[in-house]
Amino acid sequence: MLETRALTKSFGAIHVTKGVNLKLEKGERRVILGPNGAGKTTLFNQLVGEITPNSGSIYLDGQDITAMRVADRARLGLSRSYQKNTLFDGLTIRENLGLSAAVALGRGQGLWSDPLQSPEVVETVREVAAQVDLAPYLDASVNAVSYGIRRQLEVGIALATRPKVILMDEPTSGVGPEMSKGFHRLLKALPRDLTVLIIEHDMDLAFDVADTITVLNYGEVVFDGLPEAARSSQLLKDIYLGAWEDA
Amino acid sequence: MFRHTPLRLTTLGLMAAGSLIYAIIAGFFGLEILAEIAILAILVIALDLVAGFGGMVSLCHGALMGVGAYAFTVAANEAGMTALPAMVLAIALSAAIAFAIGAVCARSIGIYFIMATLAFGQMGYSFVFQSSLFGGDDGLSGAPRLDLSALGIDLTDSRTFAFYAIALVALAYLVAALTLRSGLGRSLVGLHHNEKRLRALGLTVWRAKATAFAISGAIAGLAGCLAAQHTQYISPGLMSWTVSGEALVVVILGGLGTLVGPILGAILFVVLKHEISSITPYWHAIVGLILIAVVMSRANGVFGFIEARIAARTRTRKPTLKEADADA
Ligand SMILES: Nc1ncnc2c1ncn2[C@@H]1O[C@H](COP(=O)(O)OP(=O)(O)OP(=O)(O)O)[C@@H](O)[C@H]1O
Ligand SMILES: [Mg+2]
Repeated sequence: MLETRALTKSFGAIHVTKGVNLKLEKGERRVILGPNGAGKTTLFNQLVGEITPNSGSIYLDGQDITAMRVADRARLGLSRSYQKNTLFDGLTIRENLGLSAAVALGRGQGLWSDPLQSPEVVETVREVAAQVDLAPYLDASVNAVSYGIRRQLEVGIALATRPKVILMDEPTSGVGPEMSKGFHRLLKALPRDLTVLIIEHDMDLAFDVADTITVLNYGEVVFDGLPEAARSSQLLKDIYLGAWEDA
Repeated sequence: MFRHTPLRLTTLGLMAAGSLIYAIIAGFFGLEILAEIAILAILVIALDLVAGFGGMVSLCHGALMGVGAYAFTVAANEAGMTALPAMVLAIALSAAIAFAIGAVCARSIGIYFIMATLAFGQMGYSFVFQSSLFGGDDGLSGAPRLDLSALGIDLTDSRTFAFYAIALVALAYLVAALTLRSGLGRSLVGLHHNEKRLRALGLTVWRAKATAFAISGAIAGLAGCLAAQHTQYISPGLMSWTVSGEALVVVILGGLGTLVGPILGAILFVVLKHEISSITPYWHAIVGLILIAVVMSRANGVFGFIEARIAARTRTRKPTLKEADADA
């Protein structure tokens, strides 16, 4: 569904992505682990096209999208959430989700009707709000809700495009354990045919939702396999936990 | 997102009723002022659409209005078109030029966007200033007024013309309001808040910006057609950047991103200009002081101030209602 081949990126002398090969099957849930600065977010930025790799290629559903623009990739069904909230501040939660759904339905440039009132958008907003537990807050302004709610909206916006592949960058960063757990219930309830790639810092939660695990360290894939193997991997413990304790 | 709150609808209703009544009772000078207000109101509606809602602060809207005025006059005088097709052509041309400007400037934001639009505006100004077809420094006279005699309406009469001008303001408002509740309008507001995210959701950002700018340009072109028909004389001064600057002042004075506020701003601005300039030649300084007071008050213009006051009042009232419910 989503594949990278020898993806490489450096910022000046710093090599942030070193020949990364990644392959996700349709419906796969893969968790990316790795210490701070390992290049996880930079990898996402390349997958969606916000950063151009130096070399290597990216395929979505068999199609080479390496040179494709951000918006075009999105229209093919690739969606992401950000590590740092990237919302439409000042608008309501309903408007945030509605705008996302409207754009994804190709109605972001329409002139003749209000897409926010259209049945498809209204239905999508309702469904996504239920998925990410935002239903009670729909008419609240983004500025007026707690950080945890905004964090859920961050993922909600990405889901409202009804993507084929969703990339989530530390969706639970900064939220309490209670909310984190709720979030992982939510993840498990996502449609099985949705391909999910999640960057996650919390090991337990990662093992809880992952079908497969990829570990990045200094821009390199140092582990790629099943959660059980990852759990018992000495390499992973050394790199990941070592760095984790340093951080 | 743009909403028609009861306060906005009431204000619109009051302004419409007030201007219609004034158009009935005013003398010649009053009717001139009314037409002047209408032209400015249409221009600031155009500007608020992109600047207030989309964050695209433009300093070329005077020039876009000028494109409308010149294209209308040349089409009627030189190409022998009647007024209605000349208006349609002029508005289409303003829209097309605005689309191109919007497309080119789409990549730049903030101060760079302002500077880029200023440059385009100045290009238009100097082109007209130097061109003999457009009468250069002397300007052009003899633009016709729309011929509605088939409907029994005579626009050469200044009272009738004032009603016509008010109708065009209503038309401009309707176009802007409908645009704001369309998919494009929703995206425009979204772009103001978070361009990066909208792109990641699949929006072709440059095209959305350029299209919004084109609609705004069409409305500015309409203001130009009305200006040309009003004075039946146009000069390059219409395209000067100071016209754009003044429009921006009016939008801020009235209330950025409220659509209703800038119309109120246009009324205040023109009335103040005439009232104060009859007392002192330093009316610019007085208007400047008022603008500073408005900006320093941290309210969103005069209309924003009113909205905030009323919102504050309903906020303080609501909890008491809830408490009453809880007690019951
Ligand atoms: N635009 C940029 N220019 C220069 N260096 C960058 C840029 N973006 C990221 N980096 C560097 O690349 C490295 C990887 O950053 P990245 O954000 O991808 O790490 P990460 O794995 O997501 O870390 P974290 O867990 O802290 O989010 C870091 O050293 C960072 O400083
Ligand atoms: Mg990161």
